[in-house]
Amino acid sequence: MNHFAEPRNFAEVARYLVALWRREGTLQFLRLSSTLGSEKSVAGEMWKYGVVFGLLSFAFISYMLLTEGGAAFNTSSDGINWGLAVSTYVFFALTSSGLTFIASLSMVFGFREYYAVAKRCIWLAIITLGAAFTALALELGHPFRMLWAMPSGLQYLSPMFWMGVFYLIDLVLLLIKFDRLWHDDWDSPLSHFLSIASFVAVILASGMLGLVFGSMVMRPMWYGSFTAVYFILTAALSGTAAIVLATYLAYGFRHENMPEPLRSMASGKALSKVIATLSGIALFSVVTRLWTGLWSNLDGLEGFHALVGSPAFHLEVWAGLALPFVLMVTPSLQRQPRWQITAAALVLPAMFIDRHLFLVTGQAVPMFKGAWATELTAYVPSVTEWAITVLSVAIVFAFYGLGEKLFNLAADPRHKVRESAEEGNLVLKPVPAGRAASPTAPGAAS
Amino acid sequence: MSLDILNTAISRRRFLQVSGATGAAAAAGAGLEGVIGQPVPKAMAASAESKTVVTKNVCNQCPARCGIDVYTTDGRVYAIYGSLESPISNGKLCPKGYLGAYFLYDPDRFRGPMKRTNPKKGRDEDPKFVQISWDEALKTVADRLNALRDKGESHRFAILEGRGWGASDAGLHGTFGALYGSPNVAIGHSATCADASKKAKLLLDGNYSYNAYDYANTNYMLIFGASFLDAYRPYNNNLQVWGHIRTKSPKTKVTAVDTHLNTTLAAADRALLIKPGTDGALALAIAHVILTAGLWDRNFVGDFKDGVNHFKVGEATLKPEDFNEKWTKGLIEWWNVELKDRTPKWAAGITTIPERDIVAVARELATTRPAMVLFERGPTAHSNGVYNGMAIHSLNALIGSMYAEGGLMSQMGVPYGKLPVRADDYMDDYAKSDDRKKHPRIDLVKQEWLMASNQSQAVAGNHLAGKPYKLDTILFYMTAPIYSAPEARKWEEALQSMYVIDTSPFPGETAMFADLVLPDHTYLERLQDAPTYPFQGWPMTTLRVPAVKPLHDTKVYGDVLIEIGKRIKGPMSEYYRKLGNTENLIRHLAKGFAENPGTNGVNSFESWKEKGCWYRKPYLWRQVHGEFFEWDGAGYKKPMTPEDVKKKLLKTASGKFEFKASYVQDNEKYAAYINKHLGVPIERVGFPQWVAPKFYGGGDLHLNTPKLALQAEGRAGNVPHATTIAQPVVGGRRTIYLEIHPEAARKRGIRDGDRVRIKSEVGSVEAIARHYQGVRPDVVVLPNILGHWAQGRWARQNRLPTGSASELIVNKSEPISGLAMYYATKVTVQRA
Amino acid sequence: MAKWGMVIDLEKCTGCQACTAACAMENNRLPGEQWQDVVFFTEGEYPSVQAKWFPRPCMHCENPSCVHVCPVRATYKTGDGFVLVDWNRCIGCKYCMIACPYGVRFYTDEKPLVGPDLKTVFKSNDERSWNPPWKMPDARENWKRGVGIQPRGVVSKCTFCYHRVSKAPKGVADLSEHDPETREYTPACVVACPPTARYFGDLDNPDSEVSKMIANKNGVRLLDQLGNKPQVYYLTGSGGAVPSNRAIRKT
Repeated sequence: MNHFAEPRNFAEVARYLVALWRREGTLQFLRLSSTLGSEKSVAGEMWKYGVVFGLLSFAFISYMLLTEGGAAFNTSSDGINWGLAVSTYVFFALTSSGLTFIASLSMVFGFREYYAVAKRCIWLAIITLGAAFTALALELGHPFRMLWAMPSGLQYLSPMFWMGVFYLIDLVLLLIKFDRLWHDDWDSPLSHFLSIASFVAVILASGMLGLVFGSMVMRPMWYGSFTAVYFILTAALSGTAAIVLATYLAYGFRHENMPEPLRSMASGKALSKVIATLSGIALFSVVTRLWTGLWSNLDGLEGFHALVGSPAFHLEVWAGLALPFVLMVTPSLQRQPRWQITAAALVLPAMFIDRHLFLVTGQAVPMFKGAWATELTAYVPSVTEWAITVLSVAIVFAFYGLGEKLFNLAADPRHKVRESAEEGNLVLKPVPAGRAASPTAPGAAS
Repeated sequence: MSLDILNTAISRRRFLQVSGATGAAAAAGAGLEGVIGQPVPKAMAASAESKTVVTKNVCNQCPARCGIDVYTTDGRVYAIYGSLESPISNGKLCPKGYLGAYFLYDPDRFRGPMKRTNPKKGRDEDPKFVQISWDEALKTVADRLNALRDKGESHRFAILEGRGWGASDAGLHGTFGALYGSPNVAIGHSATCADASKKAKLLLDGNYSYNAYDYANTNYMLIFGASFLDAYRPYNNNLQVWGHIRTKSPKTKVTAVDTHLNTTLAAADRALLIKPGTDGALALAIAHVILTAGLWDRNFVGDFKDGVNHFKVGEATLKPEDFNEKWTKGLIEWWNVELKDRTPKWAAGITTIPERDIVAVARELATTRPAMVLFERGPTAHSNGVYNGMAIHSLNALIGSMYAEGGLMSQMGVPYGKLPVRADDYMDDYAKSDDRKKHPRIDLVKQEWLMASNQSQAVAGNHLAGKPYKLDTILFYMTAPIYSAPEARKWEEALQSMYVIDTSPFPGETAMFADLVLPDHTYLERLQDAPTYPFQGWPMTTLRVPAVKPLHDTKVYGDVLIEIGKRIKGPMSEYYRKLGNTENLIRHLAKGFAENPGTNGVNSFESWKEKGCWYRKPYLWRQVHGEFFEWDGAGYKKPMTPEDVKKKLLKTASGKFEFKASYVQDNEKYAAYINKHLGVPIERVGFPQWVAPKFYGGGDLHLNTPKLALQAEGRAGNVPHATTIAQPVVGGRRTIYLEIHPEAARKRGIRDGDRVRIKSEVGSVEAIARHYQGVRPDVVVLPNILGHWAQGRWARQNRLPTGSASELIVNKSEPISGLAMYYATKVTVQRA
Repeated sequence: MAKWGMVIDLEKCTGCQACTAACAMENNRLPGEQWQDVVFFTEGEYPSVQAKWFPRPCMHCENPSCVHVCPVRATYKTGDGFVLVDWNRCIGCKYCMIACPYGVRFYTDEKPLVGPDLKTVFKSNDERSWNPPWKMPDARENWKRGVGIQPRGVVSKCTFCYHRVSKAPKGVADLSEHDPETREYTPACVVACPPTARYFGDLDNPDSEVSKMIANKNGVRLLDQLGNKPQVYYLTGSGGAVPSNRAIRKT
């Protein structure tokens, strides 16, 4: 197999891997698997470090959960019930939703310039959702019980039930859609229907995630339908930031490495203006939420005072939202990859901070603990909780690297995959920086 | 079916079988109180829990004697509730009571007698205990005691006792001391408890005891430093009373005086936050107002012959003969030498209580009937404690509450049966010899402490100084001065040079210094009698019935003492052989009930075990409108002569409530002693009066170290549930906080939640400070709880405060009563 | 069918926490897992400072938000008014803890309030999360109702002592601890309460003591504006108060 193209299904992948193993021997096979090919590549590095950190953090979390159980978390019944693991879940779930929104720009609404990132968005949406679910599963007391208890319970009153339903639908649709794109089906009626259904599902899913919090009248910092809208809007923002960062990352942050449609998109304003718009809206939302929170005397809103005093919050607002907004509306900067990367790199952590502060300050007022808890609850995540965040990030990195290798994420309906093979988007083959790849089989160099 | 559990309990199934018979008995008996058998409904009894057994026991966590129902299934205790048959519990318990299983199942309990193998003693020294047999343990003690006796040094053996329970434990001490020949068996703990209030009452009404109270019928309570809703005994019953008096008609009004806002003050109608040690001034001013306003109870106190109130501020010219005193003595003299100047304005300057409040309290107290005034250690654990107590207790006479309905009474004794042997018959020549009498007690009561009953807090110092001599062997029962006495750390030094025997089932601080541990049963394993502390006057005694067989190789303390006695040379061993064991003793005690059947029908050992208590209502005497009557079987109708009253109730020389206490005024030695130690002029030592308090420790903040509901007796250090709800008002949940006023804290740069060092001249302890508006700015409050360095895994791990509050207390004692001045230490507080 | 409810007379309540301790032992709770807590709060300045308190069991709401949010129906409302957790269903998502306005739900698979952890000192060798020697007889345990010692990873809460109350004779209007016939069916906190500040009975029966007390003494419910409609009523009399807020010190 000299000329190797993108596999069309997992059977092909498996067959190839078996063949490779037979040919190279176990040791060499493992070595190649660990770096996704014999040559150093960004995707390979992502995969390698993703797997290493993922395995390390998973081993650590498993050890802690098996030995200490929930005591390895700094959450408590007296104060913060939902901690960093849930923030991580919310962050990745909403990022996934945002990525689906970006994919929908081209696939549902026909903004053709966004086709260049559509497939990448779908893949990233799948893996970020996977990372989100992983974080959630590690936080739950009995994650596997959920599989039968939710369908058999059918608690239609619970926002969390619907969140589960919609995210499950979202995941299934994303997988089918990705499968369609894998088979170059960009515009069949089925594909089109899937795109629309997926868009609707993700609106419902992210909105319902918002309502998980927004329905809680007893937690006034979260309460209100605004929360659902806020989640949808900020989901889009973090999705945009994620795709910008991810795309640049795949090409070693080098504009010139990108295939043509992507390169022209990057040097345009397509994504910049989305970041600008959404960061502006997010900034406005955060500030108005803070304003009403500080202004109102309603009992239970004291968490907003803590928010103002939190350095992380100011980092989010000024560095994570205001600065990217300024960068991305400034005509001289908005087209420059450097500033696009900077803006995205600022927005994404800011969104993480936002999820965490939203979650924690909303629970900061302890419910009827009186003298036992005289002040707003303080919460510092434990090492185990941070490990869950690390694990989720590692999953995204690893599978993004893998996807980058396995699938032609830069595929585009205007560039049929098989034709573009010469351009270097070969599967399981490194894309060496600054060099057009030759169609050699993986491992041939060894 | 676990009927074999010591054959003491009634199982539910058995209840079903006998309920028919007892039902008839109940119908014939005295209403609800006559109901016999367990309150387990039939439906439950028939359920799957048929192996459940309920035994009667008495809670051990404070001295109140709350009867408990211990629920056991298959030999495992799973619940404790108040016993409906106990007149103290009435089916209820305070929070401590429910946690009893923790003591039984404490994983840190001693498993049997232990011998120390590490000769070095210290906080950080592991005693390296090895378990030994009871035979060896008892022989070890007996050999030591015999050796001392052989040398003529039996006085160098001492027993320090804490809250003993009854005739079958601490009640054995006196005989043991007499037979063995040591004046130090036993030295009580009362001087670290509340001797000053008893002494104040002795001086005024002739009864050296706490009072019984008729709370249920009172309409006004003035409480001085007795935290009625926090720790005051009998706490459980107080709480029950509170529910009643606060919703009855008319509602009982409550004024409470203390130095910080505890739950008692918070629940009261009026909280007075008083300057420490000045309660006497407040009481004197209240008396002053009562007299000048003409509000005293004329039925009890009497009146001016001309019917005109001549008590005028500052006028000292009244003549005793112008006033017809009835049941009091010395009122006019008291007015002349003390009360005339004790105006509310004067008191306001001393106590910081506004004049307006003082007048209001005095008027309410004197115009509400019935009313009562109670006080305990708060006002009396000061240098002027007895005088404070006298000033306060005098109010009870002025308002006529002595022996009145809704007032105060004295506790009646229990008509126990006689023991099978008489100790006097077994005294040998050694025990009777004059040589024995010449050795004073190690704590020097009756000598250096002329009027005190006990001075256990002096034992460590006296031993170290060899004054009057050094102890050889010391045994601790139910007391742990090494944790709870003032200058607690001095005991660590003293115990290094004594042979120490501990009897606690738990590895406390004493045990860490012990050479021998003879572990007692925990209370759910004991058979033990426990007559009530002063409660409602009528006699009562309770019984512990083992709920389970002893979990470990432990022995009830009374039997340990008897077994030691059996091993002492001479006739003493014969005495103890005849006595046999505590069960035999208790069976003989119960024989007294045959002639005096209890109100609940208890007339034998068996029925006592079944009910858990014997009591006989009603109280026999009552003062009604200034006349005393005795119960005649139907009512308080039989008039009492003044001689009767003197013999049974007001036991002073005059048979009156003496505002001029003849006990000290007419005893030259006492008067001179008081004059020497307190500077009170000899001619006025007998009057309740203002004596300015003295403070020690060198600090600038008064230290209050109260008890809290969850640890009234310091026994719950190793009970994690108790720790998590210990100090509710300021939120002590893992720790005990130092309560400090925000202003006092700010001046010292202490933020809420800062770790602080509390220091006096004798020690230093670290704790977390909690800003609290409910504490006086000149006071800090560190409850005397936790801070254990031993006592078990939870006690040790949750070590904030870093030490017992006792480590800070300067070991000074009120001279008349010998009561340790727990609240007279001033400390400094700074950020740690 | 009865609608069980509780009345707490704050004029009588002394803040002693006997209810808390009795509940902990009756229901085998861990330290800090206070199904029945007493909430203390202070207001005002020295010397006119107030300290107040009120016992806070699960309110067994008529309209329980915890039940509505549970994605797996592990927490549910029974016909006779109990709000219970089925430990065989609960996935430990803690959403009910978030949604309970009264803070009465506990997830004990967390750091112990005091060490050493009782779960390790009294280690369990079965599915129970710990094994105290004083644990209730096996026959009482009922995981479908959240009674007994819970397994790891589930939420626990006050059951109104379901294992006692559910055995009460049918048609009883009130369960009184003073009556030997009903004492064993009465919730532990009610049995325990020394000043008899707690009453338990059928709210649907207008002749029950609890119904009468609510009517005569003006029973109020905690955070009634949230619409959960608690089945626990407070009588504030002249000596007690329930806070209109969450009883934390404002900073």
